[in-house]
Amino acid sequence: MSASSATRHRPALPLSLRSFFNGARLVVLVTLLAIAWATTQVGLLRGNLINGGGWALVQQFFAAALRPELSADFLRLTLESTLVTFAYAICGLALSLVIGLAGGLLSSEVWWLSHRRTSGSKLGAPWLAVRGGLAVPRAIHEVIWGLFLVKILGLDPLVAILALGIPFGAITAKVFSEILDETPRDALRGLLNGGVPAGQALLYGLLPRAFPNLLSYSFYRLECAIRSATVLGVIGAGGLGYQVLLSLQSLRYGEMWTLIAALIALSGATDWLSARVRQVLGAPTRLEVNLAPGCDAQAAALARATPSSRTLLGLLVVGAALVPLSLLYIRPDFGRLFSPRTQMLFGQMVREMFPPDLSAENMASLLQLSLQTLAMSIFAIAVAGAFGIVLAQPAARRAMGARWPYWLARGSLLFLRAIPAPVWALLFLFVMFPGPLPGALAIAVHNLGILGRLIAEAVENVDQRPMRVLRHGGTPPAHAFLYSTLPMTIPQSLAYIFYRWEVCARETVIVGFVGAGGLGRLLTEQLSSFDYPGLLSTLIALFVLTFVVDVLSAAARRPIR
Amino acid sequence: MTDPIFELHKVTVRYGSFTALSEVSLQVKAGERVALIGPSGAGKSTLLSLLNGSLAPSEGQVRLLGEDPTRLSVRALRRIQRQIGTVYQQFHLVPNLSVIHNVNAGHLGRWSLARAMLSLIVPLERQSAARALADVGIADKLYARTDTLSGGQQQRVAIARVLVQDPVVILADEPISSVDPERSREIMTLLRELCDRFNKTLVVSLHAIEYAYSHCERMIGLRAGHVMFDLPAGQVTPGMVEALYRIRKAEA
Amino acid sequence: MFRSQQKTRLALALCISAAVAACAAPPPAAAPASQPAAPAPTKPFVISAIPDQDPEKLNRLYGKLAEYLKAELGVEVVYKPVTDYTAVVNAFKTGDVDMAWFGGLTGVQARLQVDGAQAIIQRDIDEKFRSVFIANVATGIQPFEDISGLMGLKGRTFTFGSESSTSGRLMPQFFMRQAGLSLSDLKGEPGFSGSHDKTIKLVEAGSYDAGALNAQVWEARVKSGEVDTSKVIVIWRTPPYYDYHWIVRPDVEQNFGAGFIGRVKQAFLALDQANPTHKEILDLFGAQKFIETKNENYVDIEAIGREIGKIK
Repeated sequence: MSASSATRHRPALPLSLRSFFNGARLVVLVTLLAIAWATTQVGLLRGNLINGGGWALVQQFFAAALRPELSADFLRLTLESTLVTFAYAICGLALSLVIGLAGGLLSSEVWWLSHRRTSGSKLGAPWLAVRGGLAVPRAIHEVIWGLFLVKILGLDPLVAILALGIPFGAITAKVFSEILDETPRDALRGLLNGGVPAGQALLYGLLPRAFPNLLSYSFYRLECAIRSATVLGVIGAGGLGYQVLLSLQSLRYGEMWTLIAALIALSGATDWLSARVRQVLGAPTRLEVNLAPGCDAQAAALARATPSSRTLLGLLVVGAALVPLSLLYIRPDFGRLFSPRTQMLFGQMVREMFPPDLSAENMASLLQLSLQTLAMSIFAIAVAGAFGIVLAQPAARRAMGARWPYWLARGSLLFLRAIPAPVWALLFLFVMFPGPLPGALAIAVHNLGILGRLIAEAVENVDQRPMRVLRHGGTPPAHAFLYSTLPMTIPQSLAYIFYRWEVCARETVIVGFVGAGGLGRLLTEQLSSFDYPGLLSTLIALFVLTFVVDVLSAAARRPIR
Repeated sequence: MTDPIFELHKVTVRYGSFTALSEVSLQVKAGERVALIGPSGAGKSTLLSLLNGSLAPSEGQVRLLGEDPTRLSVRALRRIQRQIGTVYQQFHLVPNLSVIHNVNAGHLGRWSLARAMLSLIVPLERQSAARALADVGIADKLYARTDTLSGGQQQRVAIARVLVQDPVVILADEPISSVDPERSREIMTLLRELCDRFNKTLVVSLHAIEYAYSHCERMIGLRAGHVMFDLPAGQVTPGMVEALYRIRKAEA
Repeated sequence: MFRSQQKTRLALALCISAAVAACAAPPPAAAPASQPAAPAPTKPFVISAIPDQDPEKLNRLYGKLAEYLKAELGVEVVYKPVTDYTAVVNAFKTGDVDMAWFGGLTGVQARLQVDGAQAIIQRDIDEKFRSVFIANVATGIQPFEDISGLMGLKGRTFTFGSESSTSGRLMPQFFMRQAGLSLSDLKGEPGFSGSHDKTIKLVEAGSYDAGALNAQVWEARVKSGEVDTSKVIVIWRTPPYYDYHWIVRPDVEQNFGAGFIGRVKQAFLALDQANPTHKEILDLFGAQKFIETKNENYVDIEAIGREIGKIK
């Protein structure tokens, strides 16, 4: 597939420089240069990286894995924290789905087109306005939302719900609008032509068809919500992340391992549930980035699927019941949203923020730190991607061969992604000096866990026939893999990697909070110095950075497709 | 109804530089059964889109049930469109809904959004849906999932939806191109019977000329956007049909 | 098949309506989440503190203090733990916390955010507070008397405590600067361990060659035998400065009655080493007694904070 895409993009002219650097090749070249640049930027080639004094702590940390804290009191605390994290995730997810459904409809082409008299006219300003409006909350990481909301709303579980729900809602809206736009429109068109009003037509002609995909994506978001709820805990919202941080701060590693076990159990259970639901729904992949609509694996799985099973019904009822239960458990104070105090604090903050600090000195340091953040994200995704592709191979489910490499790889990936990036950063800081490298490595390790599993799914869903033909022809397994499975999965894997890069760029900020370099480091100093004009300019820099990365990622994915 | 159902006066439709229909004038009266024939790309689908109000002409006048669709508000246009039911070659059904919802979609023009939502949970108007399905001969499929049905059965569901919609006129865009020959005869016969029974006007585009002769009373031959003939079925000679297709080949 | 299909949709509708209901739900009785379920007749008096030590120690300390204040003041007193220094300033500003135990720097930050907030009480040791510089014995760094000895940290790894700590960051950085030692003279970037206890542990383990922290925490840990003094030693004690203190919001007198601030002061001043219950609290605070303080004592800290860029 990669080979064919290269040929497709090559014009019929003889090889000129222009045609040589076309499409996929240009992407490869630029990517390699970017990785080389990022490697020097994060300081990998500089001295003074490893703080040798810390190995004793690392040994203590791993030795403690054998004797986790198992006292009844601590186990109760662990259970309570797990429930808090879960409840945050559920409430945040519920809010994000409401935002996502409304925003997704309003930012989809099909919504606006179905309100037109006739087909084929262009989309107008309202569509652009909704799209643009959703881009801002998306560019800002949940944790930053949390830190801001806590300044306005005070200490309340409401902060965690909103901090999760708002950016997740904007992301969900984008994906929902894409799903809706890619759903076949024939039935919808038919209804509209029969004089059915747009709302009813969408309800009967489009939503039922998009429903399995929407639901499957929602369950994928649940996995993300669990991870983000944990990270929000690290910044003080409570739950597992908070407890992990406390134990780490007091260097009580036995406790940490108990909590890590709970994190893995929670994360693993959600991932399993989400995979199971998707199987029932016939959407085999977690994320459809760059999948050509109607691709074979997808079509085949849809055909196999029996979405109308009792299991699914049960899950949905449980899911619906979980929202009020979670709210009862964490008891957010919705009154705060509209209280005069909130308005007063919000007004005060806005006044203090303006005008942003645009002094030449500040702009220079912002530019430098933005470049550092960019380098951190590139380095992180390069490491995560390379190891992800390698680890994904044993982690893909296969009919033949020994079972232990599969479980080992799956287990490692789960472990890597269950521990939040800021906690990884703190662990790396045991043996490394503060700076961009430990932060980038933390992001890399956490995302390796996520990417590895995404790529493993791509490997599982690949057409097995070319592989079988080679094997039947007597080709050794490794050779057959190189000539069939690998080239067939590379485009999808690269698409995931570029997509995940966008996420990495956002996450790079949060490792800064624990002292690991980049714009996040600056943001922490500004937050603790109450330097609001500086904060606003840093946020603007972050927004621009995210936007640039999104554009680059989209541009890089196009020729791979 | 003395006014013609459809009235086209020197209608031209262009897509960019491509002219799909050029200076077409015709009328369809209540109770007629009209076949549109002609090779692929002759403009049959474009003509049907004009007739159901989903396409506006580049030039000329269109009147649907006596109204000019380009001058109507969106709401008024919908009211007209509700009187015009369309059956498509590809059925245009929602595959993962059960049959009753696809049939009930015919009510949507009259239902409020809330009622439409409610019906997705507890299906309303089961009797009329069951009757429509009985009329098209698949009464037992009311609660089946639509994509478990065969092509012919799905087309019957689409026809049942139009029956529920209860329009003045039924447009059918190559309704039998996606089903096998045996099913084709059944579907065409069904359409003719239903139109007779419920007193509907029918405009159907067809590739299978024999059904145009056997099931319609008037034939309009289209070629490259022009009306080549518009005659009672009995007056269309095999030579005229052959010319309709042959000339096109010579040009290509 | 239809039935479950239909139920699927029903379930979807339930899901959505539940979520919508969740967003539109009327606010439950206004009560801070961390408050115990027992209903209080009025709003409780909420206290908090910067998390400068082990969270477990803080819980014990402020749990005892909250009990004592409840008995003395006759109102419900709740201790609200927070994760970092900035969070305490925030909570104080938003009014989630009525009175908080701040360090010198965070106290100035908090007062700048809340007009009319007053520094009222501090420990006897806080008017002459000191930081200690510590070093891992294996580094061979020797104790010294004069501030210029700080230049000996050149080329060494070094960690502060929290970014906003007065005794763990602000004053040590100020004295390093006075001695002519720039942060870039250190080996690698300086660390921010997050708390005084963690600074001790990191230096003791050798993660960092040297560090700086609150002298009182150091002495308390040495006394209780939690520090291995064969591995980590004090190399220098800073000159004294004003540090920790209680700051109270101006609106507490509206909520708890006129003269409430005076009663809070009295409660602290009444703590007496002779009384066993009082002694326990005083010991946990590492103090002989509490004394009065005032905003003007922190003019120097504010100036240093501005110089180092922690106050804008």
